[in-house]
Amino acid sequence: MRIKTSREKRISYIRSGIRWTLYYLLILLGFCIMTAGSWLKPVILVPIALAIAVDNNILGSVFTGGFCGVLIDIACGRLFGFNAVILAVLCVCFSLVYQLWLRSRMLNFIWTAALASYIQCRLDYEFYYRIWGYADVENIFVHTTLRVWAYTVISAVFVWLVIRLINRFFMQKDHVTVREAIRAGA
Amino acid sequence: MREFLKSARFKVILAFLAFLVGMMIYAVTKGGYSVSGASLINTVTKPFRTVTNGIADKLETETDKLKNADEYYRENQELRAQISELNKQLADYEELAAEVEELRKFVVIKEEHPDFQYTEPAKVIGYTANDPFKSFTIDKGEENGIVPYLPVATAEGLVGIVVEVSKNTSTVRTILSPDLSIAAVCRDTNADHGIIEGTVLTAERNCTKLIHLSTDNQLKPGYVMATSGNSGLFPRDYPIGTVKSIGFETNGLSACAEIEPCVDIGRLSSVVVITDFTGKKEAEDADQDLP
Repeated sequence: MRIKTSREKRISYIRSGIRWTLYYLLILLGFCIMTAGSWLKPVILVPIALAIAVDNNILGSVFTGGFCGVLIDIACGRLFGFNAVILAVLCVCFSLVYQLWLRSRMLNFIWTAALASYIQCRLDYEFYYRIWGYADVENIFVHTTLRVWAYTVISAVFVWLVIRLINRFFMQKDHVTVREAIRAGA
Repeated sequence: MREFLKSARFKVILAFLAFLVGMMIYAVTKGGYSVSGASLINTVTKPFRTVTNGIADKLETETDKLKNADEYYRENQELRAQISELNKQLADYEELAAEVEELRKFVVIKEEHPDFQYTEPAKVIGYTANDPFKSFTIDKGEENGIVPYLPVATAEGLVGIVVEVSKNTSTVRTILSPDLSIAAVCRDTNADHGIIEGTVLTAERNCTKLIHLSTDNQLKPGYVMATSGNSGLFPRDYPIGTVKSIGFETNGLSACAEIEPCVDIGRLSSVVVITDFTGKKEAEDADQDLP
């Protein structure tokens, strides 16, 4: 790895600061969307936390996941920490999976986010409705849980694009592709 | 001069003047209606006068504009400021009127139930995201004397119960929820008792369900169900909803009915929390009695 000059380091810190500020502004916006109105809405904070986890370090991802989870708990009236735990674990998994096996591409993100969002929705359904044995509880799964999951997956596309845009401008690149190296050499 | 006085011209002038005076006298006798000649002239000349008047007006306006531009500009600025001030007053007034209207609704509760003590109207600050039973948060909490398990209502009817209280906000579980059971009696027959409890299916239609109803009940669609007040959690005889349809439970042992709440639970803007009423059970006892 190339040694950074102090100026490069300073720039890197500033860019990182702006990046995380924008992430948290996006999280705030997501929370506002989730708490507005009485209609069904995507749990948009799930894809936001996951998209942040894809390209950032594990520690930052876990804290962000936990924070987003707490906000989901507040918005959805769930036990404080219930979604925080789920999302923190999912963010760790995402961070590791994208570091070790998957490339950060939109398609990869969509299917992994769909899977993670399904896990979150399913756990929410199991613990908040099914476990209590309400009559016709499957209706909630079909008419609420699955619809919310579908909306969340759709929203993941937009979330991915926004996070990529932020990363493109404010994320320091540690590695360059062969093509970029050739272009830089030329 | 003498020649002129004797001339035909003078006689013609005199005749003409006499004609005019005569016409004048005639006009006076018409009592406000124009003489036919004048009327004809007016009719014929009207389009021309309109056009010329328009041109003159325009010219006058333009000249006036140029002449008094400074004064108009100053006047315009003053008027703008006035409009802005009036708009502000109007907005304040509308807000006040809405508030008064809101309060007037709640005064009805006090008139009908003098034993009630309730908080000032609480605004609904948000519905719980993706909750099929439409629970919501209000902007009043512990600081306003709210404790868990207090009934929440509007002037039209019962809404639900407070289940979670923080310093400045409270969460309300609605009558659509299966986790809330309310003893109810029919106001019209005064005999048919049952338990109002939400179900998944009825909540989808913004309705709730009356269960444990006698099979020989006399309920009819449109009858009003009110709280029976037996539990001490809810005040007595407060409207909950109207009977929409009546049927039998799957076991066939009792009847049930679908109840349409008096209040549109999904579109609430403000509610009151009833803090005290006749026959209220203390919080600790109420806690044990909750489903």
